Amino acid sequence: MNPLLGVLALPLVAFLAALAIPRRQPQNSRWWALGSSLAIFVLSLILVFRFDQGSGQEQFALDQPWIASPDIHFAISVNGVSLWLIVLTAFLTPLCVLISWRSVQNRVKEFYAFLLLLEFGLIGVFVAQDLFLFYVFWEISLVPMYFLIGIWGHERRIYAAVKFFLYTMAGSMLMLVAIIYLYNRTGTFSYAGILDLLASGKLVFGAQEQLLLFLAFFVAFAIKVPVFPLHTWLPDAHVEAPTAGSVMLASVMLKMGTYGILHFAVPLFPRAAHQCAPWIVVLAIIGILYGALVAMVQPNLKKLVAYSSVSHLGFVVLGIFSFTRMGLDGAVYQMLNHGISTGALFAFVGLLYERRHSLEIADYGGVATVAPWLSTAFLVTTLASVGLPMLNNFVGEFLVLQGTATVHFTWTVYASIGVILSACYMLWMYQRVFYGEAGQEVHHHIFDLRAREWAVAVPFLAMMLWMGVYPQSFLPPVGKVNDAILQESQVDVPVRVSLPVPVLPVRVEAARAH
Amino acid sequence: MPISFPTTLDLGRFLPEILLTVFGTLFMVLDAVLQKRSKNLFGHLTLLALAAALGASLYAGSEPGPAFGGMLVVDGFATFFRVLVLGVGMLIVLSSYRFLARENAETGEYHALLLFSLAGQCLMASANDLIMVFIGLEISSIASYVLAGYLRDDKRANEAALKYFLLGSFATAFFLYGVAILYGSTGTVKLDQIHAVLTGPNAPFPVFVTLAAALMLVGLGFKVSAAPFQVWAPDVYQGAPTPVAAFLSAAPKAAAFAVFLRIFTTALEPIGTAWEPLAWGSALASMTIGNFAALLQSNIKRMLAYSSIAHAGYVLVALTARSDTGTSAAMFYLAAYALMNLGAFAVVTHLSGKGERYLTLDDFAGLAQKQPFTAAMLTIFLLSLIGVPLTGGFFGKFYIFKAALDSHLVWLAVLGLLNSAVAAYYYLRVLVMMYMHDPSQAVQEAEPLSHGLQLALVLPALGTLFLGIFPNWVLEFAGHSAALMK
Amino acid sequence: MPTSYTEMYFPVLVQAILAMALAAGLLTVSRLLGKRVRNRVKDLPYESGIVPTGDARQRFSVKFYLVAMLFIVFDIEAIFLYPWAVVYRDLRMVGFVEMLVFVILILSGFFYIWKKGALDWAAGAVDRKENRAP
Repeated sequence: MNPLLGVLALPLVAFLAALAIPRRQPQNSRWWALGSSLAIFVLSLILVFRFDQGSGQEQFALDQPWIASPDIHFAISVNGVSLWLIVLTAFLTPLCVLISWRSVQNRVKEFYAFLLLLEFGLIGVFVAQDLFLFYVFWEISLVPMYFLIGIWGHERRIYAAVKFFLYTMAGSMLMLVAIIYLYNRTGTFSYAGILDLLASGKLVFGAQEQLLLFLAFFVAFAIKVPVFPLHTWLPDAHVEAPTAGSVMLASVMLKMGTYGILHFAVPLFPRAAHQCAPWIVVLAIIGILYGALVAMVQPNLKKLVAYSSVSHLGFVVLGIFSFTRMGLDGAVYQMLNHGISTGALFAFVGLLYERRHSLEIADYGGVATVAPWLSTAFLVTTLASVGLPMLNNFVGEFLVLQGTATVHFTWTVYASIGVILSACYMLWMYQRVFYGEAGQEVHHHIFDLRAREWAVAVPFLAMMLWMGVYPQSFLPPVGKVNDAILQESQVDVPVRVSLPVPVLPVRVEAARAH
Repeated sequence: MPISFPTTLDLGRFLPEILLTVFGTLFMVLDAVLQKRSKNLFGHLTLLALAAALGASLYAGSEPGPAFGGMLVVDGFATFFRVLVLGVGMLIVLSSYRFLARENAETGEYHALLLFSLAGQCLMASANDLIMVFIGLEISSIASYVLAGYLRDDKRANEAALKYFLLGSFATAFFLYGVAILYGSTGTVKLDQIHAVLTGPNAPFPVFVTLAAALMLVGLGFKVSAAPFQVWAPDVYQGAPTPVAAFLSAAPKAAAFAVFLRIFTTALEPIGTAWEPLAWGSALASMTIGNFAALLQSNIKRMLAYSSIAHAGYVLVALTARSDTGTSAAMFYLAAYALMNLGAFAVVTHLSGKGERYLTLDDFAGLAQKQPFTAAMLTIFLLSLIGVPLTGGFFGKFYIFKAALDSHLVWLAVLGLLNSAVAAYYYLRVLVMMYMHDPSQAVQEAEPLSHGLQLALVLPALGTLFLGIFPNWVLEFAGHSAALMK
Repeated sequence: MPTSYTEMYFPVLVQAILAMALAAGLLTVSRLLGKRVRNRVKDLPYESGIVPTGDARQRFSVKFYLVAMLFIVFDIEAIFLYPWAVVYRDLRMVGFVEMLVFVILILSGFFYIWKKGALDWAAGAVDRKENRAP
C-alpha cells in the first residue's frame, strides 16, 4: 500500500474511532489519541526512510478519479518540502496529546477527536496535488481548530474562534473563485497538469489576469501566514486557544499559508509573483519589525509569543520572495524551525499556565529557583527562538538573510533589525519570568517538570539541537524542490526592483562590498 | 379536437398526482368518519401514500415523454423534482409526529393538506404548459396557506397565514398577468411552442415578451422568496408551525424553482439577454439582504428564513448563468438545500417545546452537552449551510459559482462567495451556542429524540454527507436531464 | 378588412368614447337641472319608509359567512354541469367518466363538511371533533 495514503488515512480512522469511545471513559480517549498519533508519527518516519532524498520530484503519487464532472481527482503526493511538514505535524500531535493530558478535563473525548481530525486536515493540505482537493482539506482543517479554540479556550474564546473562522473563510472564498477560474481556463484541477500547460506554453495568462489570480491565492495564504496587516486574528486566536491548539496553530497551521505561497501561488503565477514581490517584501519587513516591537510591550506571555510568530513568519515570506535558492531553503527551514521552537514555547507557557493559572508576565518572577529544569528547557527554547548559533532558528534566519542579501541588501538590513529586537523581547521576557525573587504565589504553585512533561520537553529540545547542529539531514530534499520552483518561476526579465522604502545610506557601499 | 379517454401512458405519467389527490381526499374523509383512531395513524398512512407516489414517480420517470397532448412532460427534470418534493414530504411527516402530539393537534387534515400541496408541486415539476403551471402553483399555494395557519388559535400562525395568503395571491396575479401577455403576444401557452414562436420569423414585439417575463419573474420571485419580493418570508416562517415552516422553505420553493428553470431556460431562452439583468439583480439582492438581515436575528426561525432568502439568491445565480451547467447546479443545490434545511428545522422542532416556547438562539446553548447526537447532526447541517467541504452545501455552492464563472459572471460569483463568508458568521453563532455555553432552560427540558425525529435527522445528515462526498451521481442525473429539457 | 391594430380597435374606441360621453353628459345634465334639498332626514339611509334604528354595522354570526362560502363553492361547481350537459352527446363516455370523478370529489368534500359539522346551525348539536390547539 502507498505509505502516504496510510499517513493521510490513519488520522481519519483514528478520529472516527475516537468518536466511538464512550464519553464516560476519558482515560481511554487519551490513550487512544496518544497511541494512534504515535502510530501516525512512526508511519511518517517510514515515509521519510522510503523517500528518495536525491530527487526533487513528487513521490508516492496516488491519483484516483473522485468526481467525474468537473474532473476532480483524489491526487496526493509529497515532495521534499511537504515531507518535512507532514513529519512536523505527526511529530507535534502526540506531544499535544501529552500536554493536554491534565489541562483538558472537560469533554475529553471531543477534544482528542478534534485534535485527530485537525491532524487529518493538516496532513491533507500538505499532500493534496489537486487544487480542489487542496481547498477541501484547507477548509476541513478550519473546523476542528474552530472548536478547539471555541470550546477549550480561555475567556474570550468565542470571539477569537469566530474571528479566526471568518478571516480564513473570507480569504479562502477568494481562493475558491481563483481555483474555479483556473479550471475554466484549463479544464483541470491538477496542479501538475496546470504546470505542464504553463511550461509547454499552451496556457498563457494575461498580465492582469495573472495578477488578479495571484492576489486571490496570495490573500488567502497571507491571512493564514499571517502577513501584516492581515494578522489581527492571530494574537486573539493564540491567546484564547488551549495549549495544544496554540501549538498546532503556530507550528503547523501558519505553515499552511507559507506552504501555499511556495507550492501554489509562486509556481503558478511567477510573473505576478515577481511583480508583487517588492510590495510583499515591504509587508514582510513591516511584519518582522512590527511583530517584534509589539511583542516587546506585551504583558501577556502568549500574546508575546504570538507577535513573535508574526515577526518570524515575516522572515519566511521574505525568504520566499527573495527568489534565491538560499532564501527559499532558509524560508522552508525557518518554517520547520518555527514549528519546533514556537511550538515548544507555547507548550512551556502552557505548563506555566497549568501551574500558576495566569498568563501575565507580572504574575511570575523567580520561577528558576523553584523549577530549575523547566527553566532550563524554557531557556534553550528562548535562545533557539532568538537565533543563537547551534540552535535551529539560527540556520534558517541566516539562510534567509544571506539569500536576501544577494538580491537586495537593504532588505537584509531591515530584517536583521528584527533579529536584534527578537533577542531583546525574548530575553527580557525570560528575565522577568524566571529570574528575580520568587513571590509567594510562585513558590506555592510552581513545581518542576513531571515525567509526562519531560516526555514533551525532551523531543522538542532534541529537535532544536539536531536541526541547529546538523541541518544537512533536512536540507537536501528541500533544496531539490526549491531548485525546481526557481526553475519554474523563472521570468525572462530579471526583476530587480528597488524598494519603495526610504533608501539607507549603507546600501551602495554594502552592495559593492558584497 | 376529438376528445378521447386518456391513454394508460398518460395516466401512468400522471400517476403520482393522482395518487396524492386520492389519498389526500381519502384522509379527509377518514378523518371525518373515524371516531377512534390509533395515535400517529395518519402519519403512517401518509408515509405509505408518499412512498406509493414516489414509486409512481420513478415508474413514470422510467418511461419519459409527454402526457395529455403535451400539457405535461415527464422527463428527467420532472422526475428529479417530483422525487425531491416527495422526499421532502416524507421528512416533514417524520418530523411532524412529535410536533403534532405535543400540540395535541394531530388530524387527517394536516396530512391531507400536505398531500394536496405536494400534488400541486409535482404538477408544477412536470407542467409543460403555462396553464398547467398556474394550476399546480395554485394547488400548492392554497394548501400551503392553510398549513401556515394550521394552529388556528395561535395568533402568530393566523397572522402568518393571512400575510402569506394576501401577498401570495397578489404574486400569483402578477404571474397570471405575465402568462396572459405572453399568450397574447405568442398565441400559445405551450412552452415549446412559445420557444418556437420567439425564435421564429414572426417573433412578436419584444417589449411585450420582456414585460411578460418580468411579470412572471415577480410572481415566481415571490414564491421562491427572492429579493425584492422576500418580505413575507421571515414573518411567515416565524409564525407558521415549525414543521410547516420547514416544508415551506423546501418543497414549494423547489417546485417554484423547477417552474422558474423550465420557463426561463426553455420558453423564454430566446430573450435571455433581456431577463438576465433582472435575475442578476435579484440574485445579488437576495444574497445580500438575506445574509445581512440574518446576522441580526435572535429568533432561530427568522434566521433560517433569512438564510433561506439568501439561498434562493444562490440558486438565482445559477439561473442567471443561463446554461445547462447552471440548471444542473441549481437542481443539485436545491436537493442539498432541502436536506440540510429540513435537518436544521427538525432540530428546531425538537427543541422548541410545547407551544414553541424556545425559539431564540440562546435556547440552543449547551445542546452539545445534554444531547451530543442532536448537536452533532445540527453541526453537519450548519456546516453544510456554511458551505464547508465534504457536505452537500459545499458542492452546491461550488457548482453554482462554477456555472456563474463559466458564463462570465465574475462579479456575481465573487460577490456571492464573499456573501457566503458573511453567512458563516450567523451559522457559527448557533454552533457557538451549542458547543461553547452552558445548557439553557430549553435544553434542560428537552425530551430525548423521538424515533420520527431521529429518522428526520439521520436521513438528511446521511444525504448531506453523501452529496458532499459523492456528488457525481446526483449531478450527472441533473446535468443529463438539464440537457434533455431543451 | 381592417389590417392594423388601430383599424381593428377603432370601433371599440368610438364605442368607449361614446359611452363615457353619455355617462358624463347625463350626470352633468341632472346636476344642472335637478333640484337639491339637503337635510337630516334626506341623508338617512332608505329603509322602505321605516325610520331606521340603531347602527348598520352589526356583527353577524360567523355561520352566515360559512354558509355563504359553502354556497359559493358548491354553486360554482354545479355550474360546471350546465356546459357539460350541453355537449354531453359529443363527449360520450369520456365526459361521463370525467364528470363522475368530479362529482365524487365534490361529494367527498360535501361529506367532509357535513361530518365536520359545518352545516350544523346550532352549535353542539353534534359531538364535533375539533382540531384546535389547546
